[in-house]
Amino acid sequence: MTLLWGIFGIDMNVWLDAFLRLQIVVIVMTVTVMGLIYLERKFVGRIQMRLGPMRTGPFGTLQSIADALKLLTKEDVRPATADFWLFELAPYVTFVPVFMTLLALPFMEGWFVRDLQLGLFYIVAISGVTVIGYLMAGWASDNKYALLGAVRSAAQLISYEIPLILGVLAVSMVAGSLNLNDITRQQDTIPNLLLQPLPFMILLIAILAELSRRPFDIPIGESELVGGPWVEYSGIRWSIIFALTEYAGLWGFSILGALVFLGGWQFPFGTSSFWGDFDFLYQLVLVFTKSFFIILTMMWISATFPRLRIDQLMAFCWKVLLPFGFLQVLVNGIVLTYADDETVRDVLLFLTSGALLVVMTYAIYLATRQPSREERVGSMIAARSAQ
Amino acid sequence: MIGVLRSLGVTWSTMFRKPVTIQYPTEHRKVPERDRAFPILLWDFDVDESFCTGCHACERACPVECMTVTMKDNPKHAEGVSKRRKILDEFYIDYGRCMRCNICVEVCNFDAIAMNNTWVGHELSTVDRQDLVMDRDQLLALSKTRQIRAWVPE
Repeated sequence: MTLLWGIFGIDMNVWLDAFLRLQIVVIVMTVTVMGLIYLERKFVGRIQMRLGPMRTGPFGTLQSIADALKLLTKEDVRPATADFWLFELAPYVTFVPVFMTLLALPFMEGWFVRDLQLGLFYIVAISGVTVIGYLMAGWASDNKYALLGAVRSAAQLISYEIPLILGVLAVSMVAGSLNLNDITRQQDTIPNLLLQPLPFMILLIAILAELSRRPFDIPIGESELVGGPWVEYSGIRWSIIFALTEYAGLWGFSILGALVFLGGWQFPFGTSSFWGDFDFLYQLVLVFTKSFFIILTMMWISATFPRLRIDQLMAFCWKVLLPFGFLQVLVNGIVLTYADDETVRDVLLFLTSGALLVVMTYAIYLATRQPSREERVGSMIAARSAQ
Repeated sequence: MIGVLRSLGVTWSTMFRKPVTIQYPTEHRKVPERDRAFPILLWDFDVDESFCTGCHACERACPVECMTVTMKDNPKHAEGVSKRRKILDEFYIDYGRCMRCNICVEVCNFDAIAMNNTWVGHELSTVDRQDLVMDRDQLLALSKTRQIRAWVPE
């Protein structure tokens, strides 16, 4: 890959280099988004014992292309009472941050649009901007459902940003760096998933919430709010919001998870050029496989659970994820300060984080436990006899 | 929390089950044995004519009056081939009107009319109501291909 890059002297010209890398990311993103839409429809279909798209192309593989064509040629309707500039710009404001997160991701060793020293921080910071787009769309649509959805999504996205940051922070403490390349390179023997299982769970849940995917889809909940902030959108604007933002976000975050927690291109065999010139292909396949594993897990979760109530959603964030995130950061600090030997440090990190994960699971179990029938009847009888 | 894991298990197991969906227009589920679509006329292969003699019994019994039958002298009776003195001349059933009550089948003295029990009887959508008025040849066509299954009286 670097060879190919060097032939044309592209690496000499910084602007051309950045531009070409951006183009590659855009193309790969678009293709991946189309693939993901097809994958999700098929996967959820199979879970619900349906077939999913079958008609367009062999096994419906051309469905995404057909959908894209249909959405691009559809009329772009704007309500008469909508605020023109806010309404027209909102899709871009939601999409651009998601796209910008992709710029800092190292898809292969030494291949990224820009190698940022604060890459992790940059991604977390930039992805928080999306909420402005949601609010703009909801406000500008002049529609009560849109506004409700926008306010809900503002509450949800800002809340779940914090556990996301804490989960990522805990890992960067262990790695001692915010540079994604460094974090990935350190995981040649043990992936961070083993060292930090709790932050991985927190990250997974926070990503689901950040992307407004199904158990956390109160901002766009079809049955209550029709489509949330996107009620009034159609055609190309809707496809930018829905298809691009949602699935590019899903893809970007899952790549992030694969790099930070699953060892990226480094983990099972390292990057020793065992595959020779095809080493970059191997790395690419590895990163994509890992990210698809995360994506499928998220789709599986999305297809399983019903939507949470808004108070449950908030309680889960502020009472469960946030305290345990802070606790993890605290414990990590103690372990990293006092454990000198690397093996001891790794074992301690695994044990503490695993223990915290078990405690968190047990806390959720206690909080959501339905009392048995006998207990409920008993308490009713006790309440009656007390009267 | 246990419910969370259990529900994940349920979706996991349904993922590997055979999908219940079938590709309908190209693939058909089997029609039940006594499925009742619209009435059709039956063909007597022994003498190569319809069982129906045009006796008007079904037309008179039809509650929605969707049938029109006319009768003529049977030329094959004159030749001595057939026992039927009279045979149907024209037979129209307006499928748009028929309510599939089965009365015409009940009253028929010659077991000449039967309820269609194949998929053909269900996929009749047209763009014009006129096309739902079936004439004699259309009503006899299915029986001539011997696709009516065995429960139809012989």
